[in-house]
Amino acid sequence: MSLFGWLRAAKPGLGAAQQRRLEQLPKPAALGEGSLRNQRWVVVDLETSGLNLNRDQVLSIGAVVIEDGAVDFSQLFERTLHRAETKLSPSVLIHGLGPSAIAAGSDPVEALLDFMEFVGDSPLLAFHAPFDQHMLCRALKDSLGYRLAHSFLDVADIAPLLCPEAHIREAGLDDWINHFNLQVGERHHASADALATAELMLILLSRARQQHIDSPQALQERLSQWKRRKQAPSF
Amino acid sequence: MQDDNDNKNAVLVMSKADAFAEAGKTAVLQNIHGTLQFLQRFPPFNQMENAHLAFLVEQCQLRFYGPGDSILKPSGGPVEHFYIVKQGRVVGERPESAQNTFEITTGECFPLAALLGERATRTEHKAAEDTFCLQLNKPAFIKLFALSSPFRDFALRGVSSLLDQVNQQVQQKAVETLGTQYSLNTRLGELAMRHPVMCNPDTPLREAVTLMHEQQVGSIVIVDEHKAPLGIFTLRDLRQVVADGTGDFSQAIEGHMTQAPFSLTPDHSAFDAAIAMTERHIAHVCLVKDQRLCGVVSERDLFSLQRVDLVHLARTIRNAPRVENLVAIRGEIGQLVERMLAHGASSTQITHIITLLNDHTVCRVIELTLAEKGDPGVPFSWLCFGSEGRREQTLYTDQDNGILFEAKDAAQAAEIRIRLLPLAQQINQSLALCGFSLCKGNIMAGNPELCLSRAEWARRFAAFIREATPENLLGSSIYFDLRVVWGDEQGCEQLRQGILDQVEDNRLFQRMLAENALRQRPPVGRFRDFVLTRKGSEKATLDLKVQGLTPFVDGARLLALANGIHVNNTLERLRQLVVKEVIEPLDGAAYEEAYHFIQQTRMQQHQLQTRENQPYSNRVDPDSLNHLDRRILRESLRQAQRLQSSLTLRYQL
Repeated sequence: MSLFGWLRAAKPGLGAAQQRRLEQLPKPAALGEGSLRNQRWVVVDLETSGLNLNRDQVLSIGAVVIEDGAVDFSQLFERTLHRAETKLSPSVLIHGLGPSAIAAGSDPVEALLDFMEFVGDSPLLAFHAPFDQHMLCRALKDSLGYRLAHSFLDVADIAPLLCPEAHIREAGLDDWINHFNLQVGERHHASADALATAELMLILLSRARQQHIDSPQALQERLSQWKRRKQAPSF
Repeated sequence: MQDDNDNKNAVLVMSKADAFAEAGKTAVLQNIHGTLQFLQRFPPFNQMENAHLAFLVEQCQLRFYGPGDSILKPSGGPVEHFYIVKQGRVVGERPESAQNTFEITTGECFPLAALLGERATRTEHKAAEDTFCLQLNKPAFIKLFALSSPFRDFALRGVSSLLDQVNQQVQQKAVETLGTQYSLNTRLGELAMRHPVMCNPDTPLREAVTLMHEQQVGSIVIVDEHKAPLGIFTLRDLRQVVADGTGDFSQAIEGHMTQAPFSLTPDHSAFDAAIAMTERHIAHVCLVKDQRLCGVVSERDLFSLQRVDLVHLARTIRNAPRVENLVAIRGEIGQLVERMLAHGASSTQITHIITLLNDHTVCRVIELTLAEKGDPGVPFSWLCFGSEGRREQTLYTDQDNGILFEAKDAAQAAEIRIRLLPLAQQINQSLALCGFSLCKGNIMAGNPELCLSRAEWARRFAAFIREATPENLLGSSIYFDLRVVWGDEQGCEQLRQGILDQVEDNRLFQRMLAENALRQRPPVGRFRDFVLTRKGSEKATLDLKVQGLTPFVDGARLLALANGIHVNNTLERLRQLVVKEVIEPLDGAAYEEAYHFIQQTRMQQHQLQTRENQPYSNRVDPDSLNHLDRRILRESLRQAQRLQSSLTLRYQL
């Protein structure tokens, strides 16, 4: 009881209903030993007001679900967040979210709650995940006082791990899109980027099966090994 | 109080939530929208309502398949999903052979037949490369099937419904250029709007002409008491009466009418009437139903929109006083074809008409030459071979002809030949003036080797069948499509019967012909859309005639000769092969549609080249076709491939 009281005091913006929703969010599940195909993944992409990890804000969230080995079009998520204090910055040229779109956006508290309900206990995937993970963590902490503990795997690492033959160094999402000749729609739109990342991930999941990586846990372990080996020469 | 506030808050939250949900919904549409736009590039999705299409996308799952991954297989039980290829390529493999039976690429869908038949697929569907498919579950497919009629139509009729779309496209273009809906497939009943002008046989001439004048018509039909037509009297007949100077206009019309006028039923098409008029040199066709006159269609009704008309053209050709006149008329044939294509005539109708007009020209040239050089005093028949023999000529055509005559023995044959050759050479030269280019291989009646008696022809053909050298095989593919254009037809029929009897018995020759028919492989690759040939710096193209039509022509010829079928025309041959149960009705129909489409594409290509003053060519760059045409062309070429594989099987090659 006192804990909720503390939360309420710290977050005056949260209404009773929002508070209830926050409390009911499921706990993240650890990456298990079940089959890779059965794992539900949420592929997320954020558009932010800039690249500064401490100052810039999440402007929109796009997410798609990979479940049963397929992207499910009935489970798509996209919200543009209402940010009263956004200044027009050069990044608007990249994400294309003008002040009017931001002004018409959803209440960040509602949007983030919606998003976390959408995520459920599933692990998250993103391209250059550390950035998205950090920005999302901060937004959740600031708006909801929520601590994000979900597994977050980086597709930018999984891709070279499973496709060493590609020989693309420090590849961006565009490089991989070109490498697999993916037909994607409008880039730099959170939703479209999430879908492009998900398509890339579908290919990678198929590669993982071929390489006998059968569970999410195995994938995570291989990923850690690969990252350690990659960093080894610098020690 | 507290409750009140909570309620208020709840209401506020609700309305706010609704607004956000609404905003969220539009935002979610972003990815749906992208997929929607993708689908709208392809039939049948481009014809579906947006709401139905959005429903489809929202119910979809996107799946990835690596090269060799199986998507559907016969052992998988009744099909539970409908697939649309978003990217990549899917191939079908029959269990008994490792051969690919079909390819499905971007924007295409599968497996309709199995899904509708609620059964397993008969073919294993495998990804041939990295492939993404949109997968729709069966309940959603059924709902869509019920909701959207373009989707239902496509699902039920598959590629055939696409052919209809192409025809609609062609006609649409005609409507755009000519500003009116008019088609040669129109029922005659719809064309003959007016009540026919008629009279009794004993009506005086003057009265009948007055009636025609009052009604502003060019013809009057003479009927009996049951309104059955007895004769027709036209302005042409009136001219004759005046010119003859008999001048007694009180006589009964019976004495001046053309008896037993040609008639069709109101259900015949405008094309039927046009052909009849052209063949018979008549300008009016009576419409008769239940033996009662119900209308008259004049050439003016048929071609009111066209400046050049078919019947007039045919008559001008048959009455041309000199070869020079015929030369001038050739240009008009080109215009006629252009107009007919624009009116939505099919390639079969057009080749038929071109053949008809060409036949008229050849006959007229022969008549004019005989008049000029004098009758040789020996009856002979003018033969044609190749595409002319098959009645499949386009505007651009070589001469392939010969002469057939009767002779007692070799000596008499040699003597007749000497008499006919100068005449034949003159005819060849005149035909060249009229636009039938001289044959480079000298397959022309003026060549002594092609001006033969029936016995000599029979010997020559027998040699083709007996000794299957490459030259003889090539020869048989030209000469065995023979037909009489001018003169008596009986000798030619006897020759044909001889060929059929010998080929039917000669399995080895059939096998050689089959091998020959496999030489031209349709350019559909296993790994790409089309296998194109590139010459120097030119764009990569495929040859519609050699690579597209020839497989059908050769295949149909072989099967016709082997099965005693007398007709020459490829489509006719296919139809009779179906009747004789040599090929399956479904296969026959598919071959026919495919042949038809390739020919149509080829003609449109020729017309385009003429308009743009480019040299005429059968080569087409598939990229220049619109998506629908391109897809059907690929399907059509695949039918040619199927026909060839059936020959491989039949003759164990």
